[in-house]
Amino acid sequence: MGDEVVALEYEKMIDFTSASINFELIYSEISLLVAAFLILLTAFQRHLARLAPLVALVGIAVSFYFALQQWGNQMSGFFGMITCDDFGTAFKLLFLVVAALTLLIAHRFLIVKRIGSPEFYALLLVSTMGMMVMANTTDLLVMFLGLEIMSVPLYVMAGYARRSLASNEAGIKYFIMGAFASAFLLLGIAFVFGASGTTDLRQIVADYSFIVSNFQNYLYAGAALILIGFGFKIAAVPFHAWVPDVYQGAPTPVTAFFSVGPKAAGFAVMLRVFLFGFEQMGMLTELFWVLAVLTMTVGNVLALRQDNVKRMLAYSSIAHAGYILVALCVGGNDAISAAVFYLLAYAMFNLGAFAVIVLLETRSGCKSDFSELSGLSSSAPYLSAVLALFMFALAGFPPTVGFLGKFYIFSAAIKSGYILLTVIGVMNSFLSVYYYLRIVKTSYFEKFEGTFAPAPYSPAIMVVLFITVIGTLGLGFFPDRVLEFSQSALFAFL
Amino acid sequence: MQALEPGIVFWILAVVILVSGFLVVTLRNMFHCALCLILCLFAVAGIYVLLEAEFLAAAQVLIYVGAVAILIVFTVMLTSDLASESLIQHNENGTIAFVVCALFAIGVPYLIKNTGVWMPAKGELISDNVGSIGKYLMTDFMLPFELVSVLLLAALIGAIVLARKERS
Repeated sequence: MGDEVVALEYEKMIDFTSASINFELIYSEISLLVAAFLILLTAFQRHLARLAPLVALVGIAVSFYFALQQWGNQMSGFFGMITCDDFGTAFKLLFLVVAALTLLIAHRFLIVKRIGSPEFYALLLVSTMGMMVMANTTDLLVMFLGLEIMSVPLYVMAGYARRSLASNEAGIKYFIMGAFASAFLLLGIAFVFGASGTTDLRQIVADYSFIVSNFQNYLYAGAALILIGFGFKIAAVPFHAWVPDVYQGAPTPVTAFFSVGPKAAGFAVMLRVFLFGFEQMGMLTELFWVLAVLTMTVGNVLALRQDNVKRMLAYSSIAHAGYILVALCVGGNDAISAAVFYLLAYAMFNLGAFAVIVLLETRSGCKSDFSELSGLSSSAPYLSAVLALFMFALAGFPPTVGFLGKFYIFSAAIKSGYILLTVIGVMNSFLSVYYYLRIVKTSYFEKFEGTFAPAPYSPAIMVVLFITVIGTLGLGFFPDRVLEFSQSALFAFL
Repeated sequence: MQALEPGIVFWILAVVILVSGFLVVTLRNMFHCALCLILCLFAVAGIYVLLEAEFLAAAQVLIYVGAVAILIVFTVMLTSDLASESLIQHNENGTIAFVVCALFAIGVPYLIKNTGVWMPAKGELISDNVGSIGKYLMTDFMLPFELVSVLLLAALIGAIVLARKERS
């Protein structure tokens, strides 16, 4: 007995040093963490604290390099807990770009609003690392831990402007709703574990017929609870109530991050769980059909009557989640590629739109109401042109990438025969044109009133605007290349 | 190994859990609620002992009774007037909450009753709880174990950021 145990342990010891750990799979996560630690060290020296954003950018760049190295690799490591495939790597790269852009947007804003401190960048990096973990695993337990590592810094970042009552409210609301959602998710994972005896989706797929024949009810209950948990994170419609207040109250750069990062991470996980793990489960299509229609319609209708740009963008982000849910309902390679492409495109023009809002808000007293935009075209012609471009992209006009994103999703839906769903989606798109163009109308055709001073440009935000404009137009002009990129990003283990 | 027959100890623990849990959400003094919560968590630890999961029981007492519940008690005591105020423990959503909880309370036992065959646990029963948990934490569950420490770090930074004095 004793010898056996020793032998078993020896075997595991060999594993420890051999290929099954595969440390290189998490180099990019590790480099983000190292950068976060360095930033925390700089916090002790006030003159070093200024270097924090730079350290963060270097960390992101190094992480990006390691993620690129993994492109094309299909490997599993850490006893199956980490899965490296092109799907996960594509999301890794997306998160890193989003983190870098958010950092550049936030830098000046935090200084002007006097809420800047090095810890902000550390939290941003840790949160990004959580997203990367979420997208690169097939294990429900690791997904949950990644989700929590992503969310905990976000709760703090939402309440980062501690002197602002609205920011406090946003932090508390997001925290309570997030904790609530985590409880649902965890209970769902427990149910699935009870039914299948494993948390690894690959094992569940392999044993699926056995599990369903014996423990169908548990599996279905678990899947439903998991759906609720992720539904909160991507702000799908019955679970969207927290979105407007949190988006409006949080510091605007943080809102920009919220609207893109966690949403993409949530969808990455949902695509894996529901289109890979539970692919053979019935009723999912109908469920996502209803969710998609509700999310698109409620988001767009409520966005129509907003007077605050941030609040409007909050509801618009709900509506966009609805378009991507269409892809989840449709399923199949085309729809998955379309969803990944849409998330990439959405990251570009939504971050761009928020960068403009941040520029406007950097003035004191700006609440980013619609009326404050009036006459923007005369005082800041370039900025209003850029804003108009992002609004066209959000509304889905060609030749922007917003049009292509919707086109790919809806053509995948038509190909699979979801005609009614497509019609509802397109009608929703038309509806959304009203409120996006209202911003363009206000900035171009309404008379300048009030005391608008040209926003103080900073090099960082110019870089962001440059990248997002190039992304919004460039991805649209060269669609083939980008689509190929996301088509190879399918599930390696399918 | 004995068969899992719920003995008298189980029933005592179950009654303690239910009654103390009920008191947590009905008592009007927040301090008393916290004490009832501690009792409830202790009884849950007792259930773990019955199931021969000693490590889980010890962790339950250490973490929930030792840390979480004490934290709640401290919060109640340090927040001015919270301990003396009498709480109103119901709100306008009470009916909906009751219906959902009732559905859950009926649904889960229904699910358990209607399961035909239970999957047997893989491998033989483990007698050395702590040893095997430790072994798993260093092998199969190494990555989750490390991720938990990152999570704790994030929570730590967040708590410091939110709690420290504002620089003027």
